[in-house]
Amino acid sequence: MGKTFKKPEALSDAHTHYCPGCTHGVIHRLVAETIDELGIRGRTVGIAPVGCAVLAYNYFNCDFQEAAHGRAPAMATGIKRVRPDLMVFTYQGDGDLASIGMGEIIHAANRGEKFTTIFVNNAIYGMTGGQMAPTTMPDQRTSTSPFGRKVEEVGMPIKMAELLAALQTPAYISRQTVIKPKYITKAKKAIKQAFTYQLENKCFSLVEVVSTCPTNWGMTPVQAVEWTEKTLLAYYQPGDYKVPA
Amino acid sequence: MALNFIEGNEAVALGAMAAGCRFFAGYPITPATTVYNAMLKYLPPEGGVCLQGEDEIASIGYCLGASMAGHKVLTATSGPGISLYSEQISFAIGSEIPLVIVNVQRLGPSTGSATKGADGDIQFMRWGSSSGLPVIVLAPVDVADCYRLTVHAFNLAEQFRCPVFLASNKEIAMTRESVDLDAVELPVTVTRKTADRGKPFLPFATPGDDTAPDFLPIGDQTLVRQTSSTHGVNGYITVDPEEINAFQHRLEKKLTAHVDEFTFFDQDLDPQARTLVVAYGVTARAARVAVAASRAAGKPVSLLIPKTLWPVPERLIVDTAAPYDRVVVVEMNMGQYVREVQRLLPGKTVDFFGQMNGNLIKPEQIREVI
Repeated sequence: MGKTFKKPEALSDAHTHYCPGCTHGVIHRLVAETIDELGIRGRTVGIAPVGCAVLAYNYFNCDFQEAAHGRAPAMATGIKRVRPDLMVFTYQGDGDLASIGMGEIIHAANRGEKFTTIFVNNAIYGMTGGQMAPTTMPDQRTSTSPFGRKVEEVGMPIKMAELLAALQTPAYISRQTVIKPKYITKAKKAIKQAFTYQLENKCFSLVEVVSTCPTNWGMTPVQAVEWTEKTLLAYYQPGDYKVPA
Repeated sequence: MALNFIEGNEAVALGAMAAGCRFFAGYPITPATTVYNAMLKYLPPEGGVCLQGEDEIASIGYCLGASMAGHKVLTATSGPGISLYSEQISFAIGSEIPLVIVNVQRLGPSTGSATKGADGDIQFMRWGSSSGLPVIVLAPVDVADCYRLTVHAFNLAEQFRCPVFLASNKEIAMTRESVDLDAVELPVTVTRKTADRGKPFLPFATPGDDTAPDFLPIGDQTLVRQTSSTHGVNGYITVDPEEINAFQHRLEKKLTAHVDEFTFFDQDLDPQARTLVVAYGVTARAARVAVAASRAAGKPVSLLIPKTLWPVPERLIVDTAAPYDRVVVVEMNMGQYVREVQRLLPGKTVDFFGQMNGNLIKPEQIREVI
């Protein structure tokens, strides 16, 4: 009997360092499947963030360039502007993209840079030890909001997909999640769509992926999935927020 | 021969074009903005890319990306912008990304005086990024230097794969001079060495402990993975103290061991003199006048104009200063490079004259000191 299911070519054989119940692995796989299916592995460049995915270059079989914290869109801009034939994607977390890198992502999106961003939003800083992120939910406990995020002090969590969709420059902006198979299928479709728009040189594209962080949330993986579905998805609703004409 | 009547910033742009620059990104700031204007005039018609960033951090970020894709890149700013560049400069040092940065210095601190010159960033350019590892800093004296040293800056960035500063100054950058650029002797253009595509690619492997690795661009046929984290020769994160030590020392040594090869300077030595004046940048021009006047008045004086400031050309300074009893360092700050000169000449009298009031140092002021 032949193989019916195999690892994408665009994924390496390395074991990931991600925690049990973390969804980075699933998202890596969806990106890798997309790269395989579009046949673009030889000309794809990933830009790694600072954060849990800083080691992403170990896991993808394509060129990878790390960027300073939050600056992946700038690095991607430089590469894509001089090599428009390449397929360039940034892979960024919520601290990297929505906090320190807020300026870079908004301006890259507004310039209509023809690269793709995979934005992994798990409502917390992972690698640095579970600090409050711009996307942390009201009353959510983190190491820097031990009594819960106080909205009156730090405002509401930022909805990046909606914020970027408000820009007038054409773009593809989608929000998905990967906590259950039914969501994974849709997330895959959105990621492939995002890369396809880049392939067609059409527009900037970003897929926000609502993700889990059981370690820093202080939950089991199962609890994390339940909390994501009940709390995060109620606020960060999945769907396409902007589609180019 | 044809005389050009241009300012230093335009000469920088022409030098960049002569050096093969293909990418410029920057953020508006006086007195560096006209570098951007000039690049916008020269670069796109040649098929290059000129890009305005949303801020300095992003601008230099674009440059790093374009450089990693294999292009020669330039950015230009002033002191406040260098402050913002800091993290990316550190990134470029660690990842060994070739990059030329023009710092058109203006009077600080902070916003300071946008239209007044100073050489207040001389130590800052060397020490203004985390890790304390070296960069190259060249200091032009006039418009011709802006042209010539920019080509050298690109060559050095390519050869040693590191950030190279051109330490300009508002007074040179925005003053027009008549200059015959055709008469300026330019070095042969250097391009970073390409790794052998037939062999497995080790992005940070070097033949010795004092050279830069061979380069392959991001997005080419060979798989290239580049991290800014502390890495071994294979480009992967390492925690091995020996490997880390070798990496740190190589980043230092690849520049300090070769500084004699790129020690640019002018000198005007008088065998009768007991005093040596050391001055760089626009101040060197006042020093020239002061030295000539002093000699005419019967008091012989010598002059050294270092144009490579970092790494410190130690041999040049020590050897040149050897015959003199007294060394006078003159600079447009409160005393920065004089610290290096004092460090190198422990047995000598090293005096300092500086000024930071927004005005150029006048030849008469230098004469009073000498």
